[in-house]
Amino acid sequence: MSDQPDEKPINALAALFGLVDRPGAATRIFYALAALCAFLFLLDFTYKKYGYFEFEALPGIYGIYGFVMFTVLILVAKALRVLIKRHEDYYGEKSIDAEEYPRDQLERIEHEY
Amino acid sequence: MSIELIPTAFLFFAGAALLTVLPKDGPLRPLVLLFVPILAGLQIWFLPEGNHIQASLLGLDLELNRVDKLSRVFGLIFSLAAFLGGLYAWHVRDSVQQIASLFYAGSAIGAVFAGDLVTLFFYWEGTAIASVFLIWARRTIGAYYTGMRYLIIQIGSGVILIAGVVLLYRETGSIAFEKMTLGSLATWLILLSFGIKAAFPLLHNWLQDGYPAATVTGTVILSTFTTKLAIYALARGFPGTEILIYVGTIMTLFPIFFAEIENDLRRVLAYSLNNQLGFMVVGIGIGSEMALNGTVAHAFAHILYKGLLFMSVGAVLFRTGTSKASELGGLYRTMPKTALFCIIGAASISSFPLFSGFVTKSLVLDAAGKEQYVVIWAALVFASAGVLSHSGIKIPYFTFFAHDSGKRPAEAPPHMLWAMGITASLCIAIGVYPDPLYALLPYEVEYRPYTINHVVAQLQLLFFALLAFGVLMRTGIHPPEIRAVNLDTDVVYRKFTPSVIVLSMRGLNVIWSALANRVQLRLSQIIKNLYDSHGPEGRIAQVWPTGSMVLWIALLLGVTLIVSFVT
Repeated sequence: MSDQPDEKPINALAALFGLVDRPGAATRIFYALAALCAFLFLLDFTYKKYGYFEFEALPGIYGIYGFVMFTVLILVAKALRVLIKRHEDYYGEKSIDAEEYPRDQLERIEHEY
Repeated sequence: MSIELIPTAFLFFAGAALLTVLPKDGPLRPLVLLFVPILAGLQIWFLPEGNHIQASLLGLDLELNRVDKLSRVFGLIFSLAAFLGGLYAWHVRDSVQQIASLFYAGSAIGAVFAGDLVTLFFYWEGTAIASVFLIWARRTIGAYYTGMRYLIIQIGSGVILIAGVVLLYRETGSIAFEKMTLGSLATWLILLSFGIKAAFPLLHNWLQDGYPAATVTGTVILSTFTTKLAIYALARGFPGTEILIYVGTIMTLFPIFFAEIENDLRRVLAYSLNNQLGFMVVGIGIGSEMALNGTVAHAFAHILYKGLLFMSVGAVLFRTGTSKASELGGLYRTMPKTALFCIIGAASISSFPLFSGFVTKSLVLDAAGKEQYVVIWAALVFASAGVLSHSGIKIPYFTFFAHDSGKRPAEAPPHMLWAMGITASLCIAIGVYPDPLYALLPYEVEYRPYTINHVVAQLQLLFFALLAFGVLMRTGIHPPEIRAVNLDTDVVYRKFTPSVIVLSMRGLNVIWSALANRVQLRLSQIIKNLYDSHGPEGRIAQVWPTGSMVLWIALLLGVTLIVSFVT
């Protein structure tokens, strides 16, 4: 079954989640997030900062560290993938990666609209 | 007989025995799986501190039920997790899984209350044997081999443990399970044994190999016990052991890279579990009261949110037949409740304020800061951003949102929703009001997680990391989810060692047959030469005089005569 344009949300929760999935929503969320980050950065000037280390007093230090390290993480992981990626049945029948989960142990039912 | 005199573990074993006489269908068996953990939890709650049950084995005094603050909090969370796991597995009618679950939970709880190392060893192996059936219960070839690999490593950990215990007994004459100091071979062996089950770096790969191979419900049960039992054992045996700080830090770091590019979401969660254990190991290594409290609190919260995440991914597997990120996406449309619970688990593990991880992980981080471990502290903060990346974003986003996979599975069955709902409520309850959890911890807690400094710092870290995710997605730099497996240290014993053995066998074969050929060739050459010269047609045979034998006999006779004459 594929996405149908007239597909109605099955309940209020699904409708709520649907809001973030509407066309263009991702861009709006991104800018809202950027604004929130700017706000959190500015918030650092409004209270007395203390911590176990001196550098913790720098404004926005956690934010900058989070942003930089997250990016580093993704880039390193991407490079790592080049080295260690293998085909799904690399280990053959001795692993579960390429085999189907036994159907009789599951209840694979579709949602009924 | 008073309930105080029954070791808590035996309640589980009795429950497992009871299962065998109950009908396979109907609600009686699942009810036992719910009732036993409740009974155990009540017993643990009301037992006063102290050593309650002694026994004797081969002249050794065993302590079967040592209750103190450290063992009690682990006993309680194990019982709670066994209950939630039982509820999640309400639909399962498989005797193997039901009995294994009870034996497994019972062994883990028995190990936690063991006052001596020999009792610990028996339960230690009990967890190994019981748990492998949760993998084998999948009943596929792949699961069989994976279970074998898992079992060998788990049993190996027990063998190393008992070797260490024997040496320690010879050294000190005691088998009491108390704080140890690293130094002798005995203590190193015991640490190694604990380290295998705690998935220390390079000893870790049974975890990522085994857990995704278990059944839908089996993985939820597995995620609770083995590794947290090891954390308990480390906290009991090796608090303040400095090397654990560095081991733990590496543990928080390396799995986040692997988790980022792993496709099977249950394996992503296994890597993430490994990373969370790292925070606990660091706390044990620091060893201050605050750090140990942090370790215990984090183990408690972690069992709940990690269980919740495994439950939600398990529910997706149960409905769609796959847990691979590349095959999923857009499931919020028909599984919104599962999606919500998954997001709550993700927020908890990422330590968003008002969720459980925030009030527990910060104890460890602050303890590291307080002791001025600046590099360790910075690494842990980095690892926290990594947690957000794979467990906070990747799991819910690529399962329930992202691109629409076109799958429209039905919502998870009611009992799974209940199990997830209760677990999710607990994650939020601990985050909003941590005092009851703090009261259970081994030491007095004077800690306020909700200060403006702390909350803003954490929000900055998380939202800026989210922003980085947004940037990387929009620029297309973020790695896509693709069908693949990634090598880890297990490639050594799954590929390299077998190929080295096969190759060296082949090499040996070639050398052997070459050698054998040469020897055979030479031998037949010698025989042929001898035949040519000495055979009936040979040159020497042609020139032998007929009477040569008579001559030789006469000579022999002469020698005999001379010898007898001389003597």
